[in-house]
Amino acid sequence: MNQILFAGLTILVGVAGCLAYFWLSNMALDRVFPPRGASASANLRRSGRIRPWLFLAPAILFLGVYLVYPVFASVWLALSQGGVFVGIENFVWLVQDPKFRESLINNVLWLIFVPSMATLIGLIAAQLTDNIKWGAIAKSLIFMPMAISFVGAAVIWKFIYEFRAEGLAQIGLLNAFVTTLGFAPHAWLTIPLLNTFLLMMIMVWMQAGFAMVLLSAALRGIPDETIEAAILDGANPWQVFWRVQVPQIKGTIAVVWTTITIMVLKIFDIVFAITNGQWGTQVLANMMYDWSFRAGDFNRGATIAIVIMIAVLPIMIWNIRNAHRERD
Amino acid sequence: MRHPLLVGALTFVAGTAGAQDLLFPPGEDARFTWESFDTFAADHDLSGQSVTISGPWTAEDEVTFRRMFEYFEAATGARVNYSGSDSFEQQIVIDTSAGSPPDIAVFPQPGLARGMAAQGRLAPLPDDTGDWLRANYAAGESWVDLVTFPGPDGREAVFGMPYKIDVKSLVFYSPENFAAMGYEVPGTMEDLKSLTERIVSDGGVPWCIGLGAGATTGWPATDWVEDLMLRLHPPEVYDQWVAHEIPFDDPRVVEAIEEFGWFAKTDAFVDGGAGGVGWIDHRDSPTGLFSIPPRCFLMHQASFIGSFFPPDTEFGSDVDFFYMPPYASHPDLGRPVLGAGTTFAITRDTPTAQAFVHFLRTPIAHEVWMAQTGLLSPLTTANLDAYGDPTLRGMGEILVNADTFRFDASDLMPGAIGAAAFWTGMIDFVAGDSAEDAANMIERTWVSLARTGGLDTEGEAE
Repeated sequence: MNQILFAGLTILVGVAGCLAYFWLSNMALDRVFPPRGASASANLRRSGRIRPWLFLAPAILFLGVYLVYPVFASVWLALSQGGVFVGIENFVWLVQDPKFRESLINNVLWLIFVPSMATLIGLIAAQLTDNIKWGAIAKSLIFMPMAISFVGAAVIWKFIYEFRAEGLAQIGLLNAFVTTLGFAPHAWLTIPLLNTFLLMMIMVWMQAGFAMVLLSAALRGIPDETIEAAILDGANPWQVFWRVQVPQIKGTIAVVWTTITIMVLKIFDIVFAITNGQWGTQVLANMMYDWSFRAGDFNRGATIAIVIMIAVLPIMIWNIRNAHRERD
Repeated sequence: MRHPLLVGALTFVAGTAGAQDLLFPPGEDARFTWESFDTFAADHDLSGQSVTISGPWTAEDEVTFRRMFEYFEAATGARVNYSGSDSFEQQIVIDTSAGSPPDIAVFPQPGLARGMAAQGRLAPLPDDTGDWLRANYAAGESWVDLVTFPGPDGREAVFGMPYKIDVKSLVFYSPENFAAMGYEVPGTMEDLKSLTERIVSDGGVPWCIGLGAGATTGWPATDWVEDLMLRLHPPEVYDQWVAHEIPFDDPRVVEAIEEFGWFAKTDAFVDGGAGGVGWIDHRDSPTGLFSIPPRCFLMHQASFIGSFFPPDTEFGSDVDFFYMPPYASHPDLGRPVLGAGTTFAITRDTPTAQAFVHFLRTPIAHEVWMAQTGLLSPLTTANLDAYGDPTLRGMGEILVNADTFRFDASDLMPGAIGAAAFWTGMIDFVAGDSAEDAANMIERTWVSLARTGGLDTEGEAE
């Protein structure tokens, strides 16, 4: 009860505070440069130049505190140890660490497999569901996993992969299936390499819906004439899809692809909740968590964070450029 | 005291409890050493004084602790203000850094207390504390070592009072199944191993071992290795291992890991096969003891595992436990016990705080909690009859019969080892790595810590 009251109060104070800020700052500006009197036009010009900054100031302040400052703080942490500058020593440690190599390889696998599978499945689902009667239902079913949190999805899939000793009733879907076919059950997630792909499946399952929705919208935006022309020219459906439709939505595919890629670079929850990086499934973000919060070594944690940031940066820039181009 | 109103309300409630409302009325039940209560009351008059305690106990433990310190209040007239926190270890650092520490802090493990003692944030306990522990706690020397830290000037002193201990050296089994098969509780590790082989030759599966624990997968293996370390090598070696004075891949450590592998890595010895050990959740693994026919006969685990037994399990008939036996080939090592537990330390030196820590020396301070639930005590003068149920009594007996007590090594090692590399190493070991490779991986991580020099707040034990 107390919490609800407190939360309500916070919202009230926050919203009222924002309104008050804009209203009062605007009033103050008008007071300093009154749009009246002899220098009205000069004042108007001056206040017009200042006003945007006034309105931007809170956002800039908060972005600075929560985004820019942490970046610099992380760089400093990565280059120091216990408050003392040590140069690239943390990076030297990192490249020599076998777990880092394992994480790097796994992240690359994630990067290759998840965006391509999610986009491909999304694209096919978009094309198929657009052309069938119960497509809307199928679409919502495919889209629904998007609404589940990563940890929630991890728990669901952990049950799918669950293992019980041979001879017991298998509560895991996969093992139940395998034992029905007459094979022995396996602790799937302890089998190196296979386990990484099993974890990726979860992300594909979650992201395919996102890809489908965007791509389906893009597919509908294609002018019908191009498709009709292709059919008149004797193209079969396969050719129409791959040669005519897909090239026209290349931009959207790129945006979908890169958006999922950025999400994959930050992959953490699924690995953390299911294997915690054991059995060779470690990834960079989970390794960062391990060093920061289990080992209490924020310097090494920040070092890994910097590596992730550097990896995300080019893809992010490309993604933003692409999105801009789409809009133009 | 950010919420003076709230604290006021709590002390009001505690105050009205009064002497007449004590859980066990003084002088009535012969299981309790009331004489110690009366003597303490006669020696201390602290009316109008108060002491603030902060600790990790919340919910049920907090209630039990309150029912315990009411006796202190009744004996002295002082008031105790306790605040429990689930994130005690962060809280105490913040509070002391901010200059508003409680009078007494209850540390869940001694590593953090050691760090704070070195920073001069703890007051040393009276000089006779060490001698008292030696005389009154079973395996007294072990306890003295555990709570002796160097102060800010480097001089060593006793800073902590261990109180409320958990025992980890337990093997659970089903007496009914043992009786049906004609098995007997083994008295030595050699017997335990031959029992393991005999169960296999009888067509059964001896062990349930599950290392799975979600994000903390791997930790149950560390208890195994630590327990075996204490049974294979003198406690000094264990201390050197914890303090990294010997490398993690020292042959003696590798020997303990291999010994664990003898149990965990033999397909026929474990429910689910060696491949399942790493995955099966430790909270699910006890079910094998209770299934019909049993899927396993033995399980090594700490006392907490009782909460994961099926709801209507009867201790004593459905399930019981025995002390993880020592090797007959190492008679000089006696009966070592692995465990964990809390330590009281004074963060603000007041006469009332001193009196409270002194109160923990009285048998009554232990018995009152023993008679409820959740506390095991190494205090030899406390009456074992006070234990609320036979299970706790059995564990308490293991504790007072100990020749050596050692604190969970993985809790004392730096977090990067005890809560990360050690787990990963054990998972890799069970999954197929050799003991040398696994130990070597952990050692390399530990060496890399030393190179950058960081990390000395947690668990740097010498």
